[in-house]
Amino acid sequence: MSYTKPTINRVDFAMMSKYGSPHKTQKVRSSIDGVDLHELTKEYGSPLFVFSQRDIEDKYRVLKDAFSSRYPNVQFGWSYKTNYLNAICSIFHNLGSCAEVVSEFEYQKARALGIEGKDIIFNGPYKPKEALRVAVEEGAKIHIDHLFEINDLEEIAKELGRTIPVAIRVNMDTGIYPQWSRFGFNYESGEAYDAIKRIHSGGLLKLTGLHSHIGTFMLEAKAYGMETAKLMQLKNRVEKEFGYEIEYIDIGGGFASKNRLKGVYQSPEVIVPTADDYAQAITDAIYSYSNGKPLPKLYLETGRHLIDEAGYLLTTVESFKRFPDAKKGYVLDAGVNLLYTSTWYDFNIELDRHYNGLNEASMLNGPLCMNIDIISEHIMLPPLDRGTILTISPVGAYNVTQSMQFIRYRPAVVLIDNEGKSHLIKEKENLETINQNEVIPEHIKIK
Amino acid sequence: MKNKISFFFKPYAAILFLENRVAGGLLMLLTFINPDIGISGVFALLSTILFAEFSQMRQAYLEHGFYLYNSLLVGMGVGYLFAPSFESFILIFLLAVLTFLFSFALSTLFSYYKIPILSLPFSIVTIVAYLASLKYSGLFSTILQSHAIYTLNLPLYINAYFKSLGGIFFLPYTISGIVMAILLLSVSRIMFMMSIIGFYFGVGVHTLLIDSWVGALNDHYAFNYILISLALGGIFLLPTLYNYVIALLGVALGVILVDATQVFFNYYSIPIFTLPFNMVIIPMLFLLGTIQYKGFNKIIKKSPEESLSYYLQTLFRFGPNVANIALPFSGNWNVYQGFNGKWTHKGAWRYAYDFVIEKNGKSYDNEGNFPQDYYCFGQSIISPISGYVVSLRGDLVDNIIGTVDRINNWGNYIVIRSDLGFYVELSHLMQHSILVKEGEYIHLGQIIAKCGNSGYSPQPHLHIQVQYLPTLGSATIPFRFLIYKSSNRLFFHSLPNEEESISSILPNKFLQMQLGFVLDDVMRFEYYKENELIGIQEWKVDMNYLGEFYFTDSKNRLFFYNNDSYFYFYNYEGDTNSILAKLFLLAPRIPLSNLEDISYQDTIPIKLIESKFKRTLLEFFSTFIPNISRRDFDYKITKGTIISSFGTITLDKSSKGFSKITWGENNYLRRIS
Repeated sequence: MSYTKPTINRVDFAMMSKYGSPHKTQKVRSSIDGVDLHELTKEYGSPLFVFSQRDIEDKYRVLKDAFSSRYPNVQFGWSYKTNYLNAICSIFHNLGSCAEVVSEFEYQKARALGIEGKDIIFNGPYKPKEALRVAVEEGAKIHIDHLFEINDLEEIAKELGRTIPVAIRVNMDTGIYPQWSRFGFNYESGEAYDAIKRIHSGGLLKLTGLHSHIGTFMLEAKAYGMETAKLMQLKNRVEKEFGYEIEYIDIGGGFASKNRLKGVYQSPEVIVPTADDYAQAITDAIYSYSNGKPLPKLYLETGRHLIDEAGYLLTTVESFKRFPDAKKGYVLDAGVNLLYTSTWYDFNIELDRHYNGLNEASMLNGPLCMNIDIISEHIMLPPLDRGTILTISPVGAYNVTQSMQFIRYRPAVVLIDNEGKSHLIKEKENLETINQNEVIPEHIKIK
Repeated sequence: MKNKISFFFKPYAAILFLENRVAGGLLMLLTFINPDIGISGVFALLSTILFAEFSQMRQAYLEHGFYLYNSLLVGMGVGYLFAPSFESFILIFLLAVLTFLFSFALSTLFSYYKIPILSLPFSIVTIVAYLASLKYSGLFSTILQSHAIYTLNLPLYINAYFKSLGGIFFLPYTISGIVMAILLLSVSRIMFMMSIIGFYFGVGVHTLLIDSWVGALNDHYAFNYILISLALGGIFLLPTLYNYVIALLGVALGVILVDATQVFFNYYSIPIFTLPFNMVIIPMLFLLGTIQYKGFNKIIKKSPEESLSYYLQTLFRFGPNVANIALPFSGNWNVYQGFNGKWTHKGAWRYAYDFVIEKNGKSYDNEGNFPQDYYCFGQSIISPISGYVVSLRGDLVDNIIGTVDRINNWGNYIVIRSDLGFYVELSHLMQHSILVKEGEYIHLGQIIAKCGNSGYSPQPHLHIQVQYLPTLGSATIPFRFLIYKSSNRLFFHSLPNEEESISSILPNKFLQMQLGFVLDDVMRFEYYKENELIGIQEWKVDMNYLGEFYFTDSKNRLFFYNNDSYFYFYNYEGDTNSILAKLFLLAPRIPLSNLEDISYQDTIPIKLIESKFKRTLLEFFSTFIPNISRRDFDYKITKGTIISSFGTITLDKSSKGFSKITWGENNYLRRIS
């Protein structure tokens, strides 16, 4: 028998009370919304993405209430890129969201779901002219990112013989780092003002909205207050100077979810601003800068904050081994191929039941035959069995849309409805779905 | 001029606890059936005014009725004893000055304890006067003069009542008693009733004690029973059954005091007049005031009926007179523990609320092993009042689930001093989550901290209590929540039950602005009846000398207030059939929040919806059954319109106020600029 390094663990004295042991060391989740995890993987396979409709709706209502109770004229736009599964988008549209898309693909996806052009916000640094023309014809809200787009839109306006209502995207310094300055026109340098002047001089476009997006996973609600204040000041200025009537301001997205950023010690409950924090900062700024004029409609493009915590990834322990440094290593059937956000998050990892034994330093690895496939480099876990199901969360945002089809089929996605019933919303891939777009030239076909 | 004359009548009415100037005028005329009394009374009033003007204290007698009615009583008391003469006028003048001095001294002393001085100066000064008069042979006593002509030949037990009533004005005759009884009846049925009940109850008690029915009825000072009964049965206390019992108890005490003082003072030939009345009422009010007795009549109106209906309307619409605070959070929370809770809300700390967030009957996700599994952990806590932060602590750790901090049991906390004087304490806040500083002024609805699990907190929750004192953990006092939502209904000034799921209603600046009427704001409407334009209605915002704001159509006044959580109407003066009066019925209360498909109840004052006759009956009987004068109506808000059985009223989207108002059969107002 070969030598392995010993492991040293602290022994916690577990005193029992009415609430159980005060030293809780195992995080346990045996079900999602009342549906047993093992039943889910038995029916739909492992790994498996699971979404909770209840979580989505609860989160939506809390954020919506936080805003609409302070400011009546508010509209949410579902950020498609965060998660554009048709079922997920449908839930948001049913709740009252319009669509926020950043490509013609997403635009088409929204249209295919039956969303009318007027209920689509078209953002993004690259909007092919053909896509722009369709969006204009269908009455979408177009947020201009750069000067070339102004030219494109003016040409379209000439061709169609009508003025096009547009909004521009503004980037600005809101005191946070990094400053997102590569989209839209800069506020401080006067670029945004110049762009509006340019739009006004063209006479073919009519400015009706102002848009900004200050960053992602913003932990400082005050930055939104500053963003809103700057947009309102710009609104006041251009209304005065150009006679525009700015109907809406769109403050973008970027609200944090309760995910734990790597390297952050405090729990998300402590550092992540609440819906109220964001809402108060934003609505206060609108009221402060309204100058007694009619209040604009407020658009929000919240994605991550609304969906992240509603998504779970179930994965099964396939094997384990002990590494030479005495760390326990587990191989799971899901890895970074499905968890794009593992780059910056320390996920919440829960066991399907209590396990006997002391916690020891462990590493969770995915199924990829690559050294980087690490879901958690260091986690204290009791000895797990083969077949243990781990629940990884929050994974609702970006992971489904950005998961890779690399050496494995992408898994099925399941939605648990408000009655605790599971529904398949995306089937697991198979050879056919992957091969269908491939073409083998006749001369190299294997005979 | 008219005002000046009617001002002269006021002290006459005040002796009978009335404010009605016509009644005062009648009583003044009545005193002249014995011209000695009438003239002496008027002279005493003039003397007081003269002295007050001379000593540049006009404000004193203008503001405080007791200066005048005490000297009026003294004057009439002298007139009762001596015929008017040069000498008696000198005496009256000097006594009027003395009364003024005593009134000032006593009221200054008593006001510290918020006790009225009633006619105590009169009682003291008359003792002085009668004692002194024993030496004044220059005065002509009229005490033996008979005014028998004013006494009718009624059965003794009826005559005695009228005579006693008349005795209040030194006119112990049947005729004067009848006039005063009619006066009482016409102004207030309750007062009339209490004068009779008080008198006969006092006589009854007296009969038992002296064993002579006739002797008890003939007692000169039996009018004290009537005064005590009136004072406690509707004037200083609210006219309720409970207080009637107190009033009768006071009357019984009055009997003893009348006898005791008589025995003592008769020895020196001093009449005691209202001394027993003062000796009963003053200590009684001192006690009831000190213990903050609930049945105290805080706002004395023109009659007990009016006092009661004002009190009841306020109670029905705005709850009892306690601190009102907003919910300290936004969104949907559950009551975990209420007043007199089963775990920790006991004894001096019984008036407190604990809140958690529950989903599917559980306050936590998974097994609830970690604070962050609890739905409320980390939620924003918002200020339930506007005021200064007086103290706070934020460094205590959030407990591991299953452990508590017994030493710092309040955990991280904030104590806020309300602008209205009380203190609110919020406890068990998250470590390092407090966003405000000691001494900072914070506004209702401002985010101040996060919900945590510090202190004696086995699971994350928010604890809130109201205190008289700023000290952490001092005794709690009752309070109510200003406004909250529970299953699509709004509740005002209420307390949710344990386990109840409630949502807070955040005031919305947009609506605050929309219903933030300021002086001279005008709303103009076209008035249509059956689709035909009838005329123009114009309502303007105005203010009275008390600083109360109202809408007026130049004749009628509709008083409103905006308390930052809701807008409401609270009083209406004028023609109850006017269109302005409809506004009260259509929107007695408008929450300043963005609400959709939500209903609530409000109570409409009976004077706006009942005939005068029915109102008189209701007002009288509501002293026995308060709820008979309660008129509740349901209101529903949908798409900026308030719908009720009275009609609909729509908020204007583009400017302050209302855009369309409909009521009755095809009546409506349409806003024009």
